[in-house]
Amino acid sequence: MSYENKILQMKKMIKKSSSKAEEKKTPFAKPSDPAYTKDWEMAGLKRIENQFGMVFLLETHYPLETKHGDFLLGDLYNAFRLWSMPDNSHPIELTKDDQLIFYDTETTGLRGVGTQIFLNGILEVSQAGFILKQYVLAEPSHETAFLYESKLWEPNKTLVTYNGKSFDWPQLQTRFTLHKKDLPNLPEQRHIDLLHGSKRIWKNDLSRMKLTQIEEEKLGFKRVGDIPGYLAPIIYLDAIKSGNPDALLKVLDHNKYDLLSLVTLYIHATNLLCESEEDESSTTITNIGKWYGDLSDYEKGSRVLEKVTNQFNSNEAGYAHYHLAFQRKKQHLYEEAYQSFMNAVPFLNESEQLIAYIELAKIDEHRRKDYQSALYYAYKAERTLNNMQSLDRDKKLKKFNEISHRQLRLKKKQSLHGK
Amino acid sequence: MLNKKKNIQELLEEWQRTKEMQDRIEYVHTIPAKQADLVKLPSNLHPSLKKALEKRGIDQLYAHQRQAFDYAMKNESFTAVTPTASGKSLCYHLPVLQSIMEDRTARALYLFPTKALAQDQKSDLNKLIEDSEEEILSYTYDGDTAPGIRQKVRKAGHIVMTNPDMLHSGILPHHTKWVSLFENLQYIVVDELHTYKGVFGSHVAHVLRRLLRICHFYGSHPTFICTSATIKNPRELAENLTNTEHKLIAKNGAPAGKKTFLFYNPPIIHPTFGVRRSAILEVRDLARELYNARIQTIIFAKSRVRVEMLVTYMKSLTVKKIHDESIRGYRGGYLPSERRAIEKGLRDGTIQCVVSTNALELGVDIGQLQACIMTGYPGNIASAWQQAGRAGRRQDDALIIYVAQSTALDQYIIKNPSYLFESSPEEARIYPENILILMDHLKCAAFELPFQEGEKYAEFEIDDFLDYLCEEGILVKSSDKWHWMSDSFPAHDISLRSASQENVVIIDQTIPAHTKVIGEMDRYSAMTLLHEEAIYLHQGIQYQVEKLDWEEKKAYVTEVDVDYFTDANLAVELKVISEDKERTIGHLQVGFGDIMTLATATIFKKIRFGTHDNIGSGPIHLPPEELHTSSTWLSFDQPESWKEDDLTNAMTGVAYAMNSFIPLFLQSDISDVHVVPQVKATHIGKPAFFVYDRYPGGIGLSERVFDLWEELIEHVYSHVASCPCKNGCPSCIGAQDLEGEGKKQVLSFLQMITHAEMDD
Repeated sequence: MSYENKILQMKKMIKKSSSKAEEKKTPFAKPSDPAYTKDWEMAGLKRIENQFGMVFLLETHYPLETKHGDFLLGDLYNAFRLWSMPDNSHPIELTKDDQLIFYDTETTGLRGVGTQIFLNGILEVSQAGFILKQYVLAEPSHETAFLYESKLWEPNKTLVTYNGKSFDWPQLQTRFTLHKKDLPNLPEQRHIDLLHGSKRIWKNDLSRMKLTQIEEEKLGFKRVGDIPGYLAPIIYLDAIKSGNPDALLKVLDHNKYDLLSLVTLYIHATNLLCESEEDESSTTITNIGKWYGDLSDYEKGSRVLEKVTNQFNSNEAGYAHYHLAFQRKKQHLYEEAYQSFMNAVPFLNESEQLIAYIELAKIDEHRRKDYQSALYYAYKAERTLNNMQSLDRDKKLKKFNEISHRQLRLKKKQSLHGK
Repeated sequence: MLNKKKNIQELLEEWQRTKEMQDRIEYVHTIPAKQADLVKLPSNLHPSLKKALEKRGIDQLYAHQRQAFDYAMKNESFTAVTPTASGKSLCYHLPVLQSIMEDRTARALYLFPTKALAQDQKSDLNKLIEDSEEEILSYTYDGDTAPGIRQKVRKAGHIVMTNPDMLHSGILPHHTKWVSLFENLQYIVVDELHTYKGVFGSHVAHVLRRLLRICHFYGSHPTFICTSATIKNPRELAENLTNTEHKLIAKNGAPAGKKTFLFYNPPIIHPTFGVRRSAILEVRDLARELYNARIQTIIFAKSRVRVEMLVTYMKSLTVKKIHDESIRGYRGGYLPSERRAIEKGLRDGTIQCVVSTNALELGVDIGQLQACIMTGYPGNIASAWQQAGRAGRRQDDALIIYVAQSTALDQYIIKNPSYLFESSPEEARIYPENILILMDHLKCAAFELPFQEGEKYAEFEIDDFLDYLCEEGILVKSSDKWHWMSDSFPAHDISLRSASQENVVIIDQTIPAHTKVIGEMDRYSAMTLLHEEAIYLHQGIQYQVEKLDWEEKKAYVTEVDVDYFTDANLAVELKVISEDKERTIGHLQVGFGDIMTLATATIFKKIRFGTHDNIGSGPIHLPPEELHTSSTWLSFDQPESWKEDDLTNAMTGVAYAMNSFIPLFLQSDISDVHVVPQVKATHIGKPAFFVYDRYPGGIGLSERVFDLWEELIEHVYSHVASCPCKNGCPSCIGAQDLEGEGKKQVLSFLQMITHAEMDD
């Protein structure tokens, strides 16, 4: 029978009553333990009780010498040291005094209030070693206990996540809002999302920004027997229905890998950003140089980009020149900027070429006062625009107008000032 | 001919002198002008609001606006009946702004049936706020809202304007992001209440129940403010829709000018068949006269196709002028900027004529025009008044011309004008009890907040249903609560608008390298409008459907230029699943229960523009569509003296007439219910007529027909009998063969069954 027909069978079951549902203000009632509590304890999970109910915990300790891929977890302290050097400054920088936790969740769905977090994975850092605390939601009705026990509501923490700004943290906020009657407020915490960082660093280098891909290609780690993340919701659902936690432990492993890789990813990113790692492609170093530039740290940005222009052939250095040119311009070093644009042009795609030609025309016009040359680049820009297939008509027309406007003005200036 | 500017009075006098017009205008009705009923501004009205009103030259309110203000300030939910141009928006803006000015944490949610209406009202509201010089933030929140300001809308918007669809899938499932709105929600404004009827209304009723459930969770108890066009049961509809008691403001204090109604019947061009000239061609000619007299006119047509046809016809008036924009089309899907342009054009007079679907029945503010032409009866009294209301600026004379089509309903109206003027408008019904709709929204509600044992969902007791959803693996019961436990997002699988949830996407492949999506259509309509070789009209452009990929729900079309349109047939099979109610009328048996129908698109015809000749046909190959719904049926013993062929013909004719009459009884679109005759109904082996709801699970329409069969048959008889045609025509029992005895058969058939009734 189809779903629809099954539902229609239930038509006779509709009951209505007009009495207004009176609002009950019931005090918090602690839910009872799920029936499978013993089984889950046998499987190695620890039952923890608080005033709101219970939660399961799997706690694992890792010494600083633990190797994960190409790194030791303790290398994190090297990273702190690098950031403590006066020359190194960046939004992702951390110190050993930060109350640092690496954080990753597993959830029953992707979005909306109906999605619950069922696993809070928290990796804490200390000189004595790393402690991984994986809190498992005992049952949906024990959510208050689960959230409370995470201590994420305690202020002054620094979170490091992978895509946590768009996913894990808003989910957590949603859950705390639902239980705001009983739980403390969830304060805003400092939050470093390494997905953003990875995108900045490996744009045009890695085809996808999945954590597992970064692990394999950049961190020297390959997972064995990992379950794919999209199965997590079904596995949790099955675990609380059947009471059997075996598959759920696999999800905990998956979450563990995510968190350990997050540490090594942070270490690697720090090394790259602090220039203590030399073995990277021109694309990656260019990305880093551009990132510093976008953060208005032109000095550092130019230095990184110059490394590319000095070490790689002119083809590979094309984009480094291009970004370097903008940073030089920002620093008012117009001659250098001009030179960099010239070096970049042959290796750019057409829309960037168009920008470069216009930039060249601008510097010629306003700084070098070489109207002849400015006109030359304006015409180059026009021709490039002409050949562009990708741009839609309106935008193309707008650009054309801009360019012809520039050409007109240049001609006027040219005739005014003599050739 | 000299195109002299005339006013309405002059034009009417001229028509009175024309014999031709005199023959065609079958009835004239005038409604005298009405004075405004004005009262003082409320004494406690916030000074800033007073100032804002003064800037618009308002120092008094219409009586209904004042009443609305008073109810709202006492937190009493109410419904105000507000015809077009009666200043309805002040009914909600005033109390809402007053409350926010008194307490800056207060919030209001405005619901409009469409995104476009919300955007229209936003500019109106913002103007008022600007004039008050107060810092009050109002935003629209819909699919077009930029991601950058969404957070601001959620946290800081005093007034959030949205539509039911967005509320359903974009706001309620994410309510934790809207805490400041839900904790402080003081008013829920439901504009255009009368549009929430049928399936759509039943869905919205549940969206509002879910909204209230969430408000209660956050501790707010909002007051409802509803505004409605004239319908029979505004208060009942509002109470049913919002599950809240309402006060009613029925008296309207706005002034109105004199209105003249003309009932225009196109001339009969084929007396034997009773075929009249096409209403569209008549409308074209009448509109041309109004256009030449420079009387601003709005023309209503029932379908998008007709709008496009009329625009094409009318534009021939202006072909010789370059860049002439004085004639414009208007239908659903226009951008706000296009509407602004039309609105402006009407104000400054550059637009003389607008052709519209009933999209403009809604409160889109294009200002008032001088004349209105209805191409055919819009299907119910309420819509007719809505359309008529478009003509008539505050104090000026207005002209409304009703042009009848050949259909039974249209001809009935023109012969019985009192039906329009004397009977009360129809009821608007919703049916939140539809089990499929109920279950859909129960899922959404469970997603939004867990249900506790014994907790009710609005008026429904639902423990059993929740247990069922548990068995289905969607919910998990933990302690005494049902929790959502599935990685799906229920609101996305549930559409409020259309019966079939999956729409067919229309893709223009005229330029193969640049295919683009130009529209979409529900599955049921697509069977007859988007089959292969169908001519699909969009923005006045003809497209031929080259390929219909039914699996993928995609129709590929190519632009063409042909002189015909297409029209397709739908064959319906039907079987009874269960009989829940029965009664007898003499020897007739009447039943009600669940049925299953199987609809198959069979053939299509090509019909030439202008002459409307049939110039070709072809088969349609599409899988049948199944529908499980509720139905009422009327059955009787096979009459001995009747040959089966004759019986089939008679019953087909009766069903044709019935199909056209159903909207007289139910305020429903013709497409909401369907009548099917069966000479041997499978469940009893006897002849029967079936009337069924065209929505899975039914929406309560056929259930009402169950009690109305006598009246329905009576109406069919007297209408067919009084039709001036000889052998039956499109106005009564459908087009008949030249030699046919169709009409006679139908009448004697009806006599036979009504006699059977009298024998008893």
